[in-house]
Amino acid sequence: MPLEYSITYKAENTYEHWVNDAHWQFLIIPENNASQEFVGVEFTNSLNAINEYSINGYGFKTIRVHPKQRFKTISFEASFRLIKKEVNPFDFQPEVDISKSYHRIQELVFKVDYESFLKRTRFTTLPNKNESLFQFDRTKSIFENLQILNEWTFTHIYFKTDVTDVETTLDEIIAKRHGVCQDFTHLFCALARQNGIPTRYVSGYLHQGNGYFGDSQMHAWAEAFVPEIGWLGFDPTNNLLANTSHIKIAHGKDYNDCSPLKGIVYTTGKNETKHTVKVASQQQQQ
Amino acid sequence: MGNLKNQMFSSYQQNPELYDEIYDNKGEVKTIYKKLFDIYGEHSIKDYVKLNDKAKSSFFNQGITFQVYDKKKTQEKIFPFDLFPRIIDPTEWEVIEKGAIQRSKALNLFLWDIYHEKNIIKQGIVPMELISSSVNYLDQMNGIDPPGGIYNHISGTDVIKHNDGKYYVLEDNIRCPSGVSYVICNRTALKRALFGVFNHYNTCSVTNYAENLLDLLETVKPKGVDVPNVIVITPGMYNSAFYEHSYLAKTMGVELVEGRDLFVENDFVYMKTIRGPEKVDVIYRRIDDAFIDPLEFKPDSTLGVPGLFAAYKKGNVTLANAPGTGVADDKAVYTYMPAIIKYYLNEEPILNNVHTYHCSRPDELKYVLEHVHELVIKPVDEAGGYGISIGNRLTKAEIEKVKKQLLAEPRKYVAQPIMSLSVHPTYIDGTKSFEQRHVDLRTFTVLGKDKEFVLKGGLTRVALQKGNLIVNSSQGGGSKDTWVLKN
Repeated sequence: MPLEYSITYKAENTYEHWVNDAHWQFLIIPENNASQEFVGVEFTNSLNAINEYSINGYGFKTIRVHPKQRFKTISFEASFRLIKKEVNPFDFQPEVDISKSYHRIQELVFKVDYESFLKRTRFTTLPNKNESLFQFDRTKSIFENLQILNEWTFTHIYFKTDVTDVETTLDEIIAKRHGVCQDFTHLFCALARQNGIPTRYVSGYLHQGNGYFGDSQMHAWAEAFVPEIGWLGFDPTNNLLANTSHIKIAHGKDYNDCSPLKGIVYTTGKNETKHTVKVASQQQQQ
Repeated sequence: MGNLKNQMFSSYQQNPELYDEIYDNKGEVKTIYKKLFDIYGEHSIKDYVKLNDKAKSSFFNQGITFQVYDKKKTQEKIFPFDLFPRIIDPTEWEVIEKGAIQRSKALNLFLWDIYHEKNIIKQGIVPMELISSSVNYLDQMNGIDPPGGIYNHISGTDVIKHNDGKYYVLEDNIRCPSGVSYVICNRTALKRALFGVFNHYNTCSVTNYAENLLDLLETVKPKGVDVPNVIVITPGMYNSAFYEHSYLAKTMGVELVEGRDLFVENDFVYMKTIRGPEKVDVIYRRIDDAFIDPLEFKPDSTLGVPGLFAAYKKGNVTLANAPGTGVADDKAVYTYMPAIIKYYLNEEPILNNVHTYHCSRPDELKYVLEHVHELVIKPVDEAGGYGISIGNRLTKAEIEKVKKQLLAEPRKYVAQPIMSLSVHPTYIDGTKSFEQRHVDLRTFTVLGKDKEFVLKGGLTRVALQKGNLIVNSSQGGGSKDTWVLKN
């Protein structure tokens, strides 16, 4: 049964001194795809500045805000509605001939077509001597290997907030073995790419069940390209395959391509940003 | 022809190992230079110095200066100018011009391909590393069709004349090549100082550059625009080439702006004017890729315009050159130019390439490490002559240091045999006489939609230190007026 979601995103930025000029770009609108149908968005900001709907360099929907007055506090509120079809992560034809898929990922044409999602970026580069941290078992299918990698990532690092940030790279994550969703996802991407599988970083929302939503953050997971099947979502933070609860916004090579909020703010002194995300659902009446 | 009485060149020493552009190998002045040689020879060195000083002060008075970046400070300098011009005969020029167009067109097709289907890589003609490990490859450009299909609207192709008398391309500059304003100013300065010499030669004009540039930029206007509004954007007055930015805007008759003068609304670009916002359609940008839009690229850039890339991606504005062209003027791509020309145009390269060793290939790296003393080592992604090591000028300790750098980051370097750049008589303050100095030539090619233009002339750069082979202005080079003769 399809679910109707309503998502609320709030951000409040407070600055010690007057801000004379600022630009923000939000990458928070769910995308339209086979499993999710975007219905509508309402976006407001406390200064009543114009909200411009646009795209980023990869074609994902953005909202840009450029207030024309000075301020010390600005808050943003967005609410989205969308319909998510029931997703069965196992609803595909399994690879009949495993060797064919392994052969395919070796081909130059394949590597060139998926070059963006095979490359080592700042956040998906494994530290030296860790290139073989996770090796695919060639007797198993690519999908099975990715499932094992998903579980391996889930157990290899433990979830801990406030110990890493958006600048943390894999050397620290592998050494300290802790982090949050983007760290799990970067590690998964790096290891899958190391094994020749195109893998992309996905930013989105996770529905954690009615009654549990409370204060929450945005979520991140990965999509890996399995030959003969297509892009499949893996959520290594939860050891899950992406399902009806995963609402996708955008994808990219790593966090940098998908950061939900980019701001250029001309001010001095301290500043503080608070975000909250709420995801609620109800069954669609058929 | 009274060579012996010639006062000006009487003490000119010819090194027989060097290719001299005005003397042939028998020590005779070449036909094309004879008249010039005689006219200059009527003057004394003293007269020459007077005229040269006048020309220099006119440069300074007009503010024709550039900045040199140093670790500690930036300095404003006059581009040293030499009044003895270089002459290129029409048949030689034809080769250079055709060769420059060929390279620019091939690079444009290469850029289209690597930002679309990538067939040249899929067919194994160039390696995938050229894009996957290049910091100048912009993933955001994938699938974008730039207006008119043009990426490298303006190309600066650097050529040299080797001691075999043939022209070789040293590099293709297709990000924001500079120097064209000096070409025009050098001509003006020479005309002021020695107008008479132009009566004896039928020299092609260089002052038509701006009108041709504007004309071709208008051919790549965004869809749906009737008469495009063209502007020039500069990083500002502290940029090394600010004079050129203002010169080009002035001679094209268009506005010169900085990032803060523009804004983006609903994915269109506007310029702030005292009459209110004015839509902008074509931007000749002299700001590097990383700085054009802080929301898409370098977030701490204050030079760019937030939202500019979205406007570009939607096809509402033309950027010249297109973002992401830097991937193709990488010195590693240079080495594949003969194959690239052949692949896209099915033609043989008109201009020669210098043989290049890729330090990323183990066998070639081995050769380079063993022959550092006879090679030029260049970083693949630096412009302006920074980071170049010339093997036969290095001490033993310096050679060891270069080897260490090569071993640490082989992908970062290529090596080439030391080319013997031709020499041209150049007045040297220190000895108060003309001496042989190495020269190269930067040519300027403009591509528009189904149209192209090559400036008939170019910037002859002179390495002012004796024996020096690096001619870049940022490395203390000077320049000469360059005459292309009409047929």
